[in-house]
Amino acid sequence: NNSSQLSSLPLQILLYVNGVYYIFYFLATLAMIIYKSQVFSYPDDFLAPDLTVLFLMAILEVPRLYLGFKGNLTEAEAPLGLSLGLTVGSVVLCVYLLLWQTYVLWADMLLNAALLSAYGLESGLKVMAIAAFVS
Amino acid sequence: VAELCVCDLLVAQCDVNCCCDPDCSADDFSLFTTCSVPVVTGDSQLCSQKAAVYSLDVEANPPERIFKLIDQVNPSIFCIRATNYKQALYLKSPEIPTPENFDRLLDKFGGATFSAEPDSWNLDTDAQNPPDANETYRYEYGVPVQTEDAFLRLPSPVVSSWCSDENPAAFLVNQATKCIRSVSVEKCDSIQALSMLFYINSSILASVFQVNITVQSIVAQSLSGTRTLLSGSDVLRLPMVLDGLCINAVLGVNYHITHTDTGEIIEAAAAFVLGAISKEALSIEQSFEISFTQENTQPVPLSGNPGYVVGLPVRAGFRPQGYPFPAAFLFAALALSSNKHGQLTILQSTSTQDCLAAQGARAPVLFGYNMISGCKLRITAAMKCQPLAQTLLDVLKGQSFPEYVASFGNSQAQDVLDWVPITQLHISEQMISNTLQSSCQIPVSLGIEVKWTKYGSLVNPQARIVNVTATITSTTLKQLPSGRERIIPITSSVVFTDISSPAEPSYKAWPTINIKLPFDFFYPFV
Repeated sequence: NNSSQLSSLPLQILLYVNGVYYIFYFLATLAMIIYKSQVFSYPDDFLAPDLTVLFLMAILEVPRLYLGFKGNLTEAEAPLGLSLGLTVGSVVLCVYLLLWQTYVLWADMLLNAALLSAYGLESGLKVMAIAAFVS
Repeated sequence: VAELCVCDLLVAQCDVNCCCDPDCSADDFSLFTTCSVPVVTGDSQLCSQKAAVYSLDVEANPPERIFKLIDQVNPSIFCIRATNYKQALYLKSPEIPTPENFDRLLDKFGGATFSAEPDSWNLDTDAQNPPDANETYRYEYGVPVQTEDAFLRLPSPVVSSWCSDENPAAFLVNQATKCIRSVSVEKCDSIQALSMLFYINSSILASVFQVNITVQSIVAQSLSGTRTLLSGSDVLRLPMVLDGLCINAVLGVNYHITHTDTGEIIEAAAAFVLGAISKEALSIEQSFEISFTQENTQPVPLSGNPGYVVGLPVRAGFRPQGYPFPAAFLFAALALSSNKHGQLTILQSTSTQDCLAAQGARAPVLFGYNMISGCKLRITAAMKCQPLAQTLLDVLKGQSFPEYVASFGNSQAQDVLDWVPITQLHISEQMISNTLQSSCQIPVSLGIEVKWTKYGSLVNPQARIVNVTATITSTTLKQLPSGRERIIPITSSVVFTDISSPAEPSYKAWPTINIKLPFDFFYPFV
């Protein structure tokens, strides 16, 4: 039994960085929504969906990251698979914030693009890790 | 953006210095000095947008306009890259009213103000209680006197001299107005304003019940101007045409309203002057007056409240006989009667300037106005001294010279302490050489000196009369040789002197600091 570990180190680093970045992302996006509502005309029925999406994404992120950590460290493919599923949901919400928000600022685009690329990379690493665990 | 032009105001004409105007030709452009609108862009918040730039190339000969369509970039990180909200950067167009949303729009925008919270606006109007029916209807100074249908009207001239019937009478404001009304004898019974009914028709709203306007008296004025008081004032006389004249036309109305001291109207009466209008008359002058009196008081006009007002008559009166002053606690009213209004009066100069023919014309003494008047006395040898002296005294002092003068403009007759006694002095210019002869002293001048002071607060001082001195100066009348006449001037004057002491400001006492050491402070040394 070789002692090589199956847990993926790059995935772990990425998950950790993702966690930290997400906190920053959430606060920045919330602040920008508040800024937009003051400076531009932002009626309530447009403000509600944007805020809902942001908070939904935050709620999804917590179990997603937790399951990712757990799955990777215990080398179990079930939590990792579940995390992958949640990632898909997060990607959809991120794309909404990138394209279909009421006002998309340049800063919004940068933040969302960075998050999307992180998700994409993470998904790739998770798939590789699952393949490693299964085989 | 290339088609927008803010300075293009004239249609089909070239606007001066407007480089984006499509109506301008190249020749026009060569005459411009600058471009008033250099750039036309969309909203600058967008990250990239088209901008039309207009400029004048002054180097070229002739100057020509340069038009460039460029992309303007907003470098800020918070620029808007995209919006998914169509009306984001445009002003909201208002809703067009349709039958479905009309009521809602009327509720929201139909009032005098738009409120951000329409619900709170409704709450306010609901919270106002409807006026309590049991509460008596009280009037305040200046409030129009309300009647059943509108207001008590006092027709008065507005702008021009023609009568306007919309002038409401204000409570406690005594008014007298005169105005001209156009009439014609043929239509005289149809012109409302000529009929008595128009003025006493509506009843005044006051207290719980309404006060009807009663007819106090009717005076008929003939075409020549003579007035007769008609008996039977309860008969309503309406205008009618008789012998080519319109009789019973209202020429004047005098309203007398009685009120309580709390502002409730209890009585209203109107005195009419009815006259006749002849065929040739195209207009008549009507005069209207309204006066307010408090119930149970005599309508004595005040000369100030409380201090005297400059220009109002000085009030004076007598102490009735039998009342020692100031011992009695219950006073009868001082008979205010130097003239029928209770004023101090002095001799009024007449055009003939003859003292003996003076007819007793007197002028009221007005507070603050120094007056001097006089007359000339022609003395003949036949005049006897004593009666002459008495006559002159009457001429100078008047029939009933008062004993007391009111110290304040609103002094009531019951408050004896508010009345200042008039001090009478007698100065006789006696020439020493003639003391041996039984000389005849005749009064030649009366000087009334009224000393007043400022009373009350520094900001609003009230004038108060402190002292009144009436000085009669007599001179010796030398016996004239018969046939000779002499003319002596007789004068009477009133002088008002301000003896108020300069105001002393008083300060609030400065707070004192009361520091005491506790009594065992120096323990154990003491």
